[in-house]
Amino acid sequence: MTEKNEMLAIILAGGQGTRLGKLTKSTAKPAIPFGGRYRIIDFTLSNCANSGIDTVGVITQYQPLELNAHIGNGSSWGLDDQNGGVTVLQPFSSSEGEKFFEGTAHAIYQNIEYIDQQNPEYLLVLSGDHIYKMDYGAMLEYHKAKKASLTVGVIPVTMEEAKRFGMMNTDETDRIIEFEEKPEHPKSDKASMGIYIFNWPTLRNYLTTSFTTNKTLEDFGKNVIPMYLANNESTYAYAFDGYWRDVGTIHSLWQANMEFLSPHNSLNIGDRNWRINSKAQVLPPMFLTNTSNVNNSMIVDSCYVAGEVDHSILSQRVSVGTGSRIVDSMIMPGATIGKNVVVDHALVGEEAVIGDGAEVKGTDKDIAVVGYGEVVGVKKS
Amino acid sequence: MKHNSVSAVINLVEPWEKLEPLTQDRPVGTLPFGGRYRLIDFPLSSIANAEIQNVMIASPRSGRSVSDHIRSGNDWNLDTIRGGLFNFPYNDLSLIAPEKKETLIHHYYDNAILFLKRSNSEYTVVMGTRNICNIDLKALLRYHKERDNRVTTVYKSVSASEIKPTNTVLQLTENGMATSIVEASKTIPSSEGKLAKDLNIYLMSTVDLIDILNEANQRGDLISLERLMKQAVIQHNANAFEYTGFFANIHDISSYYKASMSILHEDNFRALFYSQRQIYTKVKNEIPTFFAKSSQVKGSLCGTGGYIEGKVVNSVIFRNVFINRNSLIKDSVIMQGTRIGVGTTIENAVIDKNVVIGPNLELKGTADDPLVIGKGKRIFRQAEVTNE
Repeated sequence: MTEKNEMLAIILAGGQGTRLGKLTKSTAKPAIPFGGRYRIIDFTLSNCANSGIDTVGVITQYQPLELNAHIGNGSSWGLDDQNGGVTVLQPFSSSEGEKFFEGTAHAIYQNIEYIDQQNPEYLLVLSGDHIYKMDYGAMLEYHKAKKASLTVGVIPVTMEEAKRFGMMNTDETDRIIEFEEKPEHPKSDKASMGIYIFNWPTLRNYLTTSFTTNKTLEDFGKNVIPMYLANNESTYAYAFDGYWRDVGTIHSLWQANMEFLSPHNSLNIGDRNWRINSKAQVLPPMFLTNTSNVNNSMIVDSCYVAGEVDHSILSQRVSVGTGSRIVDSMIMPGATIGKNVVVDHALVGEEAVIGDGAEVKGTDKDIAVVGYGEVVGVKKS
Repeated sequence: MKHNSVSAVINLVEPWEKLEPLTQDRPVGTLPFGGRYRLIDFPLSSIANAEIQNVMIASPRSGRSVSDHIRSGNDWNLDTIRGGLFNFPYNDLSLIAPEKKETLIHHYYDNAILFLKRSNSEYTVVMGTRNICNIDLKALLRYHKERDNRVTTVYKSVSASEIKPTNTVLQLTENGMATSIVEASKTIPSSEGKLAKDLNIYLMSTVDLIDILNEANQRGDLISLERLMKQAVIQHNANAFEYTGFFANIHDISSYYKASMSILHEDNFRALFYSQRQIYTKVKNEIPTFFAKSSQVKGSLCGTGGYIEGKVVNSVIFRNVFINRNSLIKDSVIMQGTRIGVGTTIENAVIDKNVVIGPNLELKGTADDPLVIGKGKRIFRQAEVTNE
């Protein structure tokens, strides 16, 4: 065995993200573009690097091509040093059969060989589909100070929101005494962020026992946490009070992008002490023509703007023709928007084409979506 | 020797005096250009696009800004187990003490010879950086191999009115061979009024280049590689390859400024940056540029990481530039990290990196004589506005 690695991070990036509809038809949710020049997983990967974690496993399953290409060797996040690195973990077959992942905990069990190779003391389990900046090192300090077996990251939510989350009820020492999945009558405001630090030998023991016998530990929320509580493992809640958004639905993804546009967003993307990095492409600068009119918007490299852009985000290589108006929208990389087009309250997928004169209009309640590579309003010749 | 393999030498020892103060702390080759590039990116990208992976860079001084920009060369595919990038600093002879110069006689070209011998390449291309172009070096190599002369050099056909009498041009024979490189005033334009502006690019076999350098060592020459190349053109005559893409020659502030303004024309912008051959540069992770409610940006290029509240017209704005409200930037170049105060007007100016310009000031040059503010300057009173 190699030298002990204090904490290994595993990012669960295998989910299909069905609630994102058209956008995740051909790509995994963590690979969805965000904020003009990021993909959702960049926040988690950058948090790992900024927290001093040098070894990260990314578990993928659903439509992994774009995600794999994005992650590469991890150098974009500085995660390619001699002693660590990013490893993309995909289902594989072995003499015991095919190792597809049935649930979050099962995905960890299926990759037990990789984790053993790293030989960590603590296992940090993360999801790849949240927008936030968090120091996992501080969470580990807390985990050690509490002498915990499991620490769960929690965020305060309103009683109304609590009905959609897994809620942690704690005692005065923040020890978790009860876990309720999507409770009708929430007893606390502490929602699970899907961020866990486990003492690896303990978790390993539970998983191995379970999957060689009754296979009851498929999912962290549904199975593992209740079992830890039932077995009286010391389980603590670590409260996070910064900006955190689950972008699992069309509306929440649009909403988080619109919040990202505000210079006062508490995510503070410009903070150079906690940079969010992404796979950087070398592209020419943006070109704004004499007919452009851009307000309250974010634009990145290689965009071409001849129309009006108001309170919107344009990602790399987006072009907007003359007479077009983009309002309250997020346009993903490579989308081409023709002349005299109206795009309002919309998410436009990568490489989509919107023909001259077309309209893509949503509302605050019902955001319009144009899928990846989808062609709208172009007359077939 | 590997058949068809090519090495490249980028010579950063180039005339810099007339580009001051922009060249006070950097060679011409690391002069920022086009919103996010440095001049050296253009030859390096031509090299990368021709799949050349053995590159020597000769810097005039320490090469700090060169190393900072290029690092491992990874952004140009030069971080490879074959060949790679070799930096040779302190090539500017005017900075070398007389007693040290003594010891260089018969050895001045040793490093370059060693690089070329170890490159194991069949051909070598020698380039400067002050001629901005996006050249297909593979086509140049094909052209060279189809002809008999030992050296091939490159020109762009330009109107005589476009260049200054002191600019250098190729003297061409009727059958298109270059016999020498002379000042424009010493030659006669073609019947169409055209001159062959030389691009300071030379291609020859590596063996021939090694011979040229060995002979110069034997003679005890202490002259620049560029002069040796010009001598080689006179000595051997050269094939003259015509380049037809976007071109700008940077030799003084005015030509730098005009070249910067010329890429604001969409045709030029597309010809330089959206051809089949991409221009590469050091990859940077910047946040998107934010255009505030009050911003008005027309006919301009912008880098990322910026924050724009004011009005920007017909200008090149680099990365991380902060332009406060009620300001006007017109026909200007604002380099990386510069901040412009509230209510300030800037016209026909070149503002170098990390400059801070206070509120309610007026900085105006003219199209022929742009105002230049040097790197890192802080200007808070109108009296401090002086053209350097």
